[in-house]
Amino acid sequence: MGDSRSMSLLVGDNPFHNISHLSQARSRDRGDEIGNAGFAAGLVVSSMENGADGFMFSVSETTLSILKTIRDMNRSESMKLYAIVPYAYEYVRLATQVGGVSGLARRMAKQVLFSMNFKAMAAGLKGVVRMDPVALLKTYLYYEISRIKSSAPRQASLDSVMLHEIITEMALALNMDWFLKAYVEFMVKLGIKPGFETRNFAYLVQKFREWKMDFSKVAIATPFNKIGFQMNPSKEECEKALVEAGRSEVIAMSVLAAGYLRPREAMDYILNLQNLKGVVVGVSRESQARETFKLLEGSLKT
Amino acid sequence: MNSMESDSKVRVAVVGLGKMGLLHASLLSAMPEVKLCAVCDKSKLILRISKKIFRDVQVVDDLQKLAGLNIDAVHVTTPIPSHHPIARMLYSQRIAGNLFVEKTLATNYNGAKELCSLAEDFGGVNMVGYMKRFSVTFRKAKDLLDKHVLGEVESFEAYAFSSDFSDVRQGSQVAGARGGVLEDLGSHVLDVALWFFGDLQIGSAKLESLISSGSEDTASFDVKGSGGVEGHFDMSWCKRDYRMPEFGLVIHGSNGVMNVDDDGLRLEVSKGQSGKWYRHDLGDSVRFLLGGPEYSREDEYFIKSVLGKTNAEPSFLTASKVDYVIEQVRRKAGGK
Repeated sequence: MGDSRSMSLLVGDNPFHNISHLSQARSRDRGDEIGNAGFAAGLVVSSMENGADGFMFSVSETTLSILKTIRDMNRSESMKLYAIVPYAYEYVRLATQVGGVSGLARRMAKQVLFSMNFKAMAAGLKGVVRMDPVALLKTYLYYEISRIKSSAPRQASLDSVMLHEIITEMALALNMDWFLKAYVEFMVKLGIKPGFETRNFAYLVQKFREWKMDFSKVAIATPFNKIGFQMNPSKEECEKALVEAGRSEVIAMSVLAAGYLRPREAMDYILNLQNLKGVVVGVSRESQARETFKLLEGSLKT
Repeated sequence: MNSMESDSKVRVAVVGLGKMGLLHASLLSAMPEVKLCAVCDKSKLILRISKKIFRDVQVVDDLQKLAGLNIDAVHVTTPIPSHHPIARMLYSQRIAGNLFVEKTLATNYNGAKELCSLAEDFGGVNMVGYMKRFSVTFRKAKDLLDKHVLGEVESFEAYAFSSDFSDVRQGSQVAGARGGVLEDLGSHVLDVALWFFGDLQIGSAKLESLISSGSEDTASFDVKGSGGVEGHFDMSWCKRDYRMPEFGLVIHGSNGVMNVDDDGLRLEVSKGQSGKWYRHDLGDSVRFLLGGPEYSREDEYFIKSVLGKTNAEPSFLTASKVDYVIEQVRRKAGGK
């Protein structure tokens, strides 16, 4: 492992949205408590007390409520925030309920308008008039960043805003280098590290090299685990890509392969990966928060 | 096929740029064997934004404009009611020799039969997007069934549930745009059952409207297979706590029980080796992932079939059986 002392240990939010990539039945069995903001905030805080130093989350009403609950606890420790936008599930579901893409666009325009975020409104007007994807993206980012900042605890820092995997993968596949470059430039100007969530890490690295993107400016969240779960096209290719993307902040997700691996057996693999700068793990119980982050801190930060 | 002879890439067009159209357009673009050369949609809003996004791709508002673009294959990803007229026009105008149509093939069996006949006359590869056949767990189940690990298959229970419309307001018409639960959600598990057990005859059937009068929100029916297997289906898109659509079957045989869904497979047998497999155990990686590994495998298989000029499954003919069963369920339930 490169510099183990600089590794970020982040709490993930999948359990708070009742997501399990191991089994959907398992996520239903967790019950409603996990989606309760107070309970989830307690798990995040407990993870922080046991070694975590940040929270990676999709921006949704659920996670914003969790942030507000932590803010109201008036805690003093610092907290890194890694926000993933958009929360694709919420928008796909909304599109279903409001009549497809055009209904969704109308709903979004209303939300931006009622947010009274003037930067977002100005950029949005330009985007709508010209149908300019970059201007629309900027509008959306202004809107989401303002939502995060108004909910975040005082001592938290918004370290990165990451594009959700659906946007990242589509932009990669459709060769939208102009779009991703504009996103990076915009975020860098705002002083927030641009990030990408992807399950096609090797493909992303290949494309970023082709497009001469500066790896040192970006964060990338992508699966790394002992059994190669969700590592596409293969575990070996992703490991090679990690060496090539050494200058970027690569954060490993799915390190436990969605609960398939025990934390202790998962750690050996992670420990031996060069260039990894962080790990994100979701927890759904207090005891799990304590044990997992104690183990992670002991393994990765000493 | 003329363009493929001069260039090894398959030239593909995608018709319909909703959620599924964007998914397939992206997956196809990421494939080195494919050149996405055109997209087609009739929505002005989608066309305007598409022209900015698809920069080296023809963006057109009319199927006729695809003619003359030397297209080898077309993906039809429009809402179900338009599959039949679009596929018919693509054949009659000789726009492309190979067609991939998202499920279901048509809105009724007659429409499906007509497309099967056109496909046979035209030749080329034809395929319908029943992507559960490309899921590692359902493939494993099919493999085990083909090896007769359950002995004689006696009965099964199949389900397809989602929460897509679990909290829409009463009287809302939004679900109508997606047809009914039978074709939108249930068709996937119906196709899997036909794949596993062969032709099915419908016994008693019940359809329920929960959202608005005339909406088809739950379906429940019994079937009988040619080999004597008896089955029961339950489908609903108003089921609580199904954040993602979920499909599964419990299959009972003379030697034991198999429980298979999107996440895994559990086999309990009296003779032989019982076991449990998650997706993790079954080699679920793909060249490029978007939406789910099944979609990647499905598109790769279709393109491989086009390149190899071999038949693809589920073909129009195979998929038309799903349309037939859906029609029979509605008839038995006394509905449409």
